[in-house]
This record gives sequence, C-alpha cells and structure tokens, in this order.
Amino acid sequence: MTRAHTLETPPTTPARALDGPPVPEGPPPPRRKHTWRRLGNQALWYAAAIVLALFIALPIYLIFVSAVTPEADRYTYPKAIVPSALSFENISFFLRASGVVDAFWRSCIVGIITIVLALGIGAPAGYAIARYVFRGRDAYRLVILATRAFPVVILSIPLAVLYRQVGINDSVLGVALMHTTLALPFTVLITSSVFVSIPRDLEEAAQTLGCSPAQAFRRISLPLALPGLTAAAIFTWVLSWNDVFAAAILTLRNPTLPARILSSLTQAPLHFQFAAAFVMLVPSLVVIFIIRRYLLGLWGRVVK
Amino acid sequence: MPSSMGPRRRAVGLAMAVAIGASLTGGAALGQGGSVVMLSTQLAPEAEAQKMRDQILGGFAGSVDFVTADPGSVLIDTVRVEAQAGSGEVSLLGGLHGELSTLGAEGLLMDLSDVVADLDVSPGLLELGKLGTDQQLYIPWMQATYVMVARRDALEHLPAGADINALTWAQVTEWGANLQAATGERLLGFPAGADGLIHRFFQGFAYPAFTGGVNTHFADASGVAMWEWLKETWQYVNPQSTTYGFMQEPLLSGEVAVAWDHTARLIEALRTSPDDFVAFPVPAGPEGRAFMPVVAGLAIPATAPDPEGAKAVIRHLLDPATQGITLQQVSFFPVVTSEVQAELDAGTQAELDAVSAQISAADALPALLPIGLADQGGAYNDVFKSALAQIIVEGGDPATVLAGLAPTLQGIFDATGAPCWSPDPPSDGPCQVGTGG
Repeated sequence: MTRAHTLETPPTTPARALDGPPVPEGPPPPRRKHTWRRLGNQALWYAAAIVLALFIALPIYLIFVSAVTPEADRYTYPKAIVPSALSFENISFFLRASGVVDAFWRSCIVGIITIVLALGIGAPAGYAIARYVFRGRDAYRLVILATRAFPVVILSIPLAVLYRQVGINDSVLGVALMHTTLALPFTVLITSSVFVSIPRDLEEAAQTLGCSPAQAFRRISLPLALPGLTAAAIFTWVLSWNDVFAAAILTLRNPTLPARILSSLTQAPLHFQFAAAFVMLVPSLVVIFIIRRYLLGLWGRVVK
Repeated sequence: MPSSMGPRRRAVGLAMAVAIGASLTGGAALGQGGSVVMLSTQLAPEAEAQKMRDQILGGFAGSVDFVTADPGSVLIDTVRVEAQAGSGEVSLLGGLHGELSTLGAEGLLMDLSDVVADLDVSPGLLELGKLGTDQQLYIPWMQATYVMVARRDALEHLPAGADINALTWAQVTEWGANLQAATGERLLGFPAGADGLIHRFFQGFAYPAFTGGVNTHFADASGVAMWEWLKETWQYVNPQSTTYGFMQEPLLSGEVAVAWDHTARLIEALRTSPDDFVAFPVPAGPEGRAFMPVVAGLAIPATAPDPEGAKAVIRHLLDPATQGITLQQVSFFPVVTSEVQAELDAGTQAELDAVSAQISAADALPALLPIGLADQGGAYNDVFKSALAQIIVEGGDPATVLAGLAPTLQGIFDATGAPCWSPDPPSDGPCQVGTGG
C-alpha cells in the first residue's frame, strides 16, 4: 500500500487552513493585520459556503414547509416561512392513499436491482475499456453513448409492445431492466475513468507478490475503485428513482412511486403535490447520506 | 481491509436476494384476475380516485381495479400498445371526448350500441359518442363545464347596474378596472399556465360569444375584435395568470378575485369557504352567452379481456343513483335524463346553480368540443395558445398574428378532413378558416 501515497496529496504540500488559502510560511506578518485579513477571508469562505448550502437546502425546506402546513393556513398569502404548526395530515393522506406504500417499496426494489445490474455489467465493461487495448475500442466507447441518442419517447411504444409479448410488462424486473439500459452508458463511462486513474503497476506489483489477476483486481483495484463505483451507484439510484417516463408506460397496476404520483397527483391540489414531493425526496436524501460515507471515508482510508 | 468487506458483501447479497424475491412475487401478483381493470384519466386526482373506488364503485356487485392515468398520453399509448401486442389487460376506459375520439379514429374501440338500450343517457350527448360514425364508440359518463367564480367582497366593485347572473364580457373589463382602482392590484384571473385550460376559453367561450363561431371567424374582423377586447382586459388581469393551472388556488390565496375555469378546478375554493365565494354563469358577448360542455365518456378497447364485465360497470356508473353519488362526491354533473337525487354540499350546490343558470339562459350558446381532429387535438389547442402568447404576452397586433396563424389552423383541418362543428355552420369537406375582413 506504500505506493498509494504517491497517488494522493504528498505530505510535503503546505498545510492548508480548512477554510482559506494556503497559510504562508516564513516570518508571520504583523499580527493584527494578519488576523483581520484572515477574518475577512474566513467570512468570504463561509458566505460562499452558506450561499451554496442554501441553494440546495432552501427548495427542500420550502417543500417541507408546504407539506406540513395545516389546513387552516394552506391558502394564506404570502406564505409563512415558518409553519404556524406542524401538521402531518397531507403526508399521511398521501401515504394512506391506495397503493402508495406498495409503489414506494417497488421503487426501492427497482432501484436496488438497477444498481446491481448496472454495476454488475457496467463495471467489468468499464474495466475492460480502461485496462485493455482492443480493436474497435474507441468505436465501442462511442456506441455505448449512442444508445442514449434515441429518445425514450420514440422507443417507448415498441418497447412496451415487446414487454407485453415477452410477459415482463407491469413488473419490477421489467422496469429495472429498462433503467439498467438507461444507466449503463454512464456507469461504463464513470467506472472506466475510475479504473484509468488506478495505476496498473499496483495490480502488477500484487501479481509479482503471488496474486492471481482476479485476486489482484479484487484486493487492490476494487477497494481503490470503491468510491468511484459508489458514485456510479448514486447516479444509477437517482436515475432509477426519478424516472417516470419509462415506468409510466411499462407499468399499469404495479407502478413505481413516480408513475403512481404522476397518474394521481398532476391534477391534485398543491398541498398533496408538496406532500408527495417530500415523501419522494426523503429516500433519495437517505440513500445519498448513507453512500456518502463510503465516498469520503474510503478516500480517507486510502490516504492514511 | 478484506475482513471488513465480508459483512458488507453479505449485506449486498442479502439485498439482492430480497430484491429478486420481491420482484418475483410482484410478477406473481399479476396473475390474479377476476376484476375489471378500468384505466381512467378522469377522477385521477388522489382525493377523487379514492371517492371513485370507495363511494362510486362501492355499490357495484363485481370488483373493479380503478387505475388512474395522467392526462398526457399514457391512456392512449397503453391502448395502442395492447392493440399492437394483441393482448390486453384493460377492459374499460374513462376519458375525455378528445382522448376517446383519437382512439375511435384508430379503430381501437368496440361498438357499444347494445348497451345503449339499457341506459337513459341524453340523446344529444349520445350522438357525441358516435364520433360521426354509426357505431356507439363511447358512452357519455359525466359532464362538466366552465363557470366564473368571484370573491364575495369583489361584488361591491361590479359596474353600476350589472347583474351577476347576466354579465357581459365588456362588464368584466369594467369590473377589473374598478377592482384595480379600489385595490391597486390586477385581480382578474385566467388559467393560462402550462396546466391551464385557457385554450378552451377561446374555443368555447370568447370566440363563440364575440363571433358566433370559432374556426370560421378565426382571423376575421369579429375575431380580431375579440382579441382587442382581451388585450384591453388583460391590463386588469393578474400577470401571474400565465403560470396558473387551477384557479381555485389563486382565488383561495387572494391573488385573484374573479376567475374563469373548469368546475372541477374551482370546487375547492367553493367548498373550503362557501361564504367567501360566489359562482355565476359565464358572461355573454355580442353573439350570446357561449359555453362549452365537457363530456367524459366510457369506452371498451378492442383488446378488452372482459368486455361483459366492463359493460356491467358502465350500467352501474350510468344508473341514476350512481350519477347522484358522482355529483355529490366529485362534482361532475349527470348525463342521464332522469331526475338525479343527491344531497349536496354548499360548494357543489353553488356550482350546480351557476351551471343551471348558464344552460338555461335566454341567450345560451353551447359550443361543442373539437370533433374529428383525431391526433391533431393538441396541435389545434396550440394554435390558440400561440395566439395568446403572441398577442397578449408579446404584445403583437391581433390582425397580423391571426393572419399568420390561420394557415396553420387550416392545415390541421386539411390534414384531418374535419368539417366545422357547432356553433360554426356545418361544412362540406374540411372546415374553412375565416380570414380577413
């Protein structure tokens, strides 16, 4: 693992203050001036961080507020920034609606199957593109992307007809296969760039120490690639969780959550729409927070 | 590190097993039959769908699986897919006249003439369901229309001598001006957002009221006069109107005080605070009090696995008792000729009174929904939305803009061969768009 150090920031780099530009070395400038400048810089950094956080968090907060606004205040205008009371009637109405909980689990299962299939097929393909030179490699790369050149809108009807004929219409597996197809080009590209960034020397070194190629991959490349694979998994999950178009045409009585929401909420009053938006947001946030630990934690462990 | 991978890999394996197991059981659930699958774009909003399942279909002897479809293309696409695949799952469709006429034109619907004898549906509406053929391609199910709703406190600003039940569109302009003078705000409202039904305002209300027709007067002097009126009125219309889908929300929040919309998109305001709002008939123009009835129908796709079950559901839904429950629960009006008994809440009662006054007005001028446009219905609506965008939003000259759009409109009629429909006079061959002076 010693070679891994060279991949990462060498320890000789000047230490950075967490929230500011490099701390200059050498004799410190007069103390007061230094403090003021540092404070100013810090303020700027914090301001930027706060703006960025608000950009993401504010819409989520507003959805939350609209979802928990009690019936009495529903149509007050302008809207209150802080709800007068927390009321979960909208959310519970939505969750109690026929088939919503089933659709929720269905969406989760479709997401998991899609991640497993997309990484199971996409990661080896990405590895092959990254590691091996073979005839037609560049064309292959292009062809992978070309699958996204056909809009799903055009494919949807023939696809749905085929699904019916094969008998996988209206099933979780059918939707997961469709999502896998949609996600694969990106999975392949993300994983191939991840494997490119892991030096081949590491695997070769492991092989000189007695590993088989498969073992070298499993023990050396895979752990190093895990953060990248995690990123690909997040991407796949989000794509599957958000897809409504393919799910709406491929399912009928067993819809995924977005398809279920599309069919019954596009014309529903706004407070139900916000409740549904909130219910849809939470699992995505949870998944991202769980996976995020791997994304950051593993890099940290490698560096150490 | 390898030891820490163990449990994680086991967890992934477990998740996979659960996922695959669940997907298989999901597939198995498909095999369960016995109930009639009804796919509907009507009563799709969650609260209405619940009432459909519990109250309206509650009294049906068999079992119905009521599946909702969004108002986009899902219903039409699903029927096309089942027809192409040669096998279907859906036995009964609930949709708007426009959606069902598209499917009828493609030959995807069964003839329901044998069901008609058991029902007492109003003959005029039944005729609509024939889609210009000698077959009964859909059975009218329920109807709605568009009315006006105003905040009660806006009534004091009505023009002098105006009768709320017999307004003219010119008086609405004056009303808007009075409201602006009193409050400083633009308080008229139209649903001109992406989800709004503003195109129906032109097709069934403004054009017929000002011109006595729609397509035959599209770009002529009377058509231009209608747009001049709207342009003048728009200075009292809340500019947020181009984002409104359902007028009940801006009415309830107080952003607008007077609005035109579909009865189903106003009912929430009338129900939430019946004391604060009044419903009243649409205003009249020089040619009469034009309004458009909206008809939802029931149809059976050619690939239906259970057409007999579907016909039983149709008989149930058109039973006068069920029609009464439908009115009471979801505020859609009956299509049967016999008296319907229902205890109504204040909001529905207010709408029913406005609709009755509108239909029975001395100068009533019913305008039909587009007929015979097949899959060009969307393109037809877009012509009117483009006119709104170019004349009102971008401030274009009405005569110029309409002259520019007339060939597009004519192209739609030429492509579909659709003759004119009421209130335009009937035509031999494709309807001819009225242009120039």
